[in-house]
Amino acid sequence: MATIEMSNMKKRYPNGADVIRDVSLSIAEGEFMVLVGPSGCGKTTLLRMIAGLEDITGGDLMIGDRRVNDVSPKDRDIAMVFQNYALYPHMSVRDNIGFALKLRKTDDGEIKRKVEEAAELLGLTPYLDTKPRQLSGGQRQRVAMGRAIVREPSVFLMDEPLSNLDAKLRVKMRSEILKIQRRLGVATVYVTHDQTEAMTMGDRVAVLSKGDILQCDTPQNLYDHPVDQFVASFIGSPSINMYSAQLSEGAKFLNIGGESVELTDVAHISHPSLASYANSRITVGIRPEDLELVDKGTPNSITATVELVEALGSELLVHFNTDAKAVVVEGVKDEEETILEASGAGVARIEPRASVKAGDIIGLRPNPAVMHFFDVNTELAIY
Amino acid sequence: MAVVEVADEAKVDPSAKQKPKVNKQFRDRNQIMLARLGWRFTTPALVIVGAITIFPVVFSIVLSLSNVNITGNGFQLQGFTFSNYSLLIHSSEWRYSLGFTVFYTFVSVFIEVVLGTAFAVLMERLSKGRGPMMALLLLPWSIITVISAELWQYVYQGTYGVLQYLINSVGFGKPVILGTPTPAIIAMMAADIWKTTPFVSVIVLAGLVMLPSDVFEAASVDGCTPWQSFWKITFPLLRPTLSIAVLFRILQAFGVFDLPFVLTSGGPGTSTTSLAILGYKVMFDNLQFGPGSAVAVSATLLVLIGCLAFLRAFRTQVNGGDL
Repeated sequence: MATIEMSNMKKRYPNGADVIRDVSLSIAEGEFMVLVGPSGCGKTTLLRMIAGLEDITGGDLMIGDRRVNDVSPKDRDIAMVFQNYALYPHMSVRDNIGFALKLRKTDDGEIKRKVEEAAELLGLTPYLDTKPRQLSGGQRQRVAMGRAIVREPSVFLMDEPLSNLDAKLRVKMRSEILKIQRRLGVATVYVTHDQTEAMTMGDRVAVLSKGDILQCDTPQNLYDHPVDQFVASFIGSPSINMYSAQLSEGAKFLNIGGESVELTDVAHISHPSLASYANSRITVGIRPEDLELVDKGTPNSITATVELVEALGSELLVHFNTDAKAVVVEGVKDEEETILEASGAGVARIEPRASVKAGDIIGLRPNPAVMHFFDVNTELAIY
Repeated sequence: MAVVEVADEAKVDPSAKQKPKVNKQFRDRNQIMLARLGWRFTTPALVIVGAITIFPVVFSIVLSLSNVNITGNGFQLQGFTFSNYSLLIHSSEWRYSLGFTVFYTFVSVFIEVVLGTAFAVLMERLSKGRGPMMALLLLPWSIITVISAELWQYVYQGTYGVLQYLINSVGFGKPVILGTPTPAIIAMMAADIWKTTPFVSVIVLAGLVMLPSDVFEAASVDGCTPWQSFWKITFPLLRPTLSIAVLFRILQAFGVFDLPFVLTSGGPGTSTTSLAILGYKVMFDNLQFGPGSAVAVSATLLVLIGCLAFLRAFRTQVNGGDL
């Protein structure tokens, strides 16, 4: 068991591309740290740098109290789970799990005991003598886990280990991985592009974009207090609605599209800096669940046309259009999603039995207490 | 072949049973038509293959089992006999040739596979220039054996040979390379290894680049040194590829003819007489068509048995089944 300490880590490829700009992050003993970000943000590169599969261009990497920048992967006392599992195809499950122990010349009886223990924990006992190709995706994933835990490493590294599983299995494996990690108490770095996975698994979550860590905090803090537009729109599903807005009468009212919403004292207390933006243009972010369905024309509400209603049983997702100008954060989503959400579109999460259908004109009243405000130029959050 | 596969698939398809009978009849008729069409398309090719491959093989077998009588107008077959084969088995020449061919095949194929794999591993590590290197490496393989044998002749030759000059200039006298049995055998193997190692390299390289890179990363995290990584991961994963390379090489090396024919004509004495050279000499120098055919047939049968045994032993590897 050990801590991981990254200070000013950099990675530059020979062609001059900076993949990791300047990352400092410390991971405590037993902590489950998730690195999350859109594809190409450098999260996998960062993980591979910790593993020793990529050189570190600058900065320091400490595992425990040892600087491991120039230590080969095998001497870093880490175990890694790969996206495609990377099982040894010619070895049985037993040999796959026990391979690292065998390389360390562990006693045969000891290997057998540890492998069987791990297999028991992962429900792989019946498959110990089968080859990986005879296993299902979920089973292969568990073998990869087994290979990692049997070594009792001081650090676990996981590179999108669940991305090849179907949705149901993914949810199940999520909790299994967490359970195992809690039980072993080993510091873990987990890479994913799926914000739900990040939120549900991480003790802390580091959001990366373009080679930088934008924010690293507990999932709830990321959700409630994002540092900027990028984090706000990356975390949360469906993602936050962001509109261009104008503060008026000082900072008493917020004009969104043609409508005006009164900012109550609560908003000002939780966002004291808002006063300095009096009468200026800002970006407002409203989470889908912070919109309340009201009659059209209700004071402090936004008029919206319902485009589509998704009934999820426990809630309704109302996709709507408004006059307000939507602010789209670049790089967060795929191109297709961006097209769908162009100009004024938004989502509200409302109670399941409301009678709303496509084509209705409704009022949506945002809750000023939990609104997010962003500087138009810096895109940083205003608190 | 494709037609047979279609039929097989239809047999295993469990949903086929539930389909109405009319549909099944229609499908059967369709398949028969497809099969007929298949025959029609393949017949010309089969005729050509029959004429140039199957007929000579069958005719050789017939010759090897007949009393062949040479006359002024050619030869006549006079009755069935096993005497050609018993002649072989009792002839020291045939036994020597067999021993030599087997030895030559094993040693040169072994060295070629070791060297070829080593080259392939080196080439795989080249980050750039792999293309030109490959072209350079393939040069020996692309030269016709008769020509390359002539070139080696210049190296080994007694009066103006380069090798003899070099050996002499470092003070080891003037060995007669192609005129002494052991040096001649080594010289011939060297020429063969020079020529066919690239072939093995290319096959192995193709296999190497197909291997999944993350498995090697997993191995390095698990604690493999590069050497362990080769023997515990690369080698087992390459076995299907290596098996194919070995199979091809055994087939070629066992029938080696052009190299000894040009370099030594099977000499000195009979020291480099492979089975193919022996068969040729018996048949066309001595005009003993029966025994000559028996040599050819025996060589074919032996290599066939060898290859079948090899395939059996390495079946899973050849099929890639172990992956």
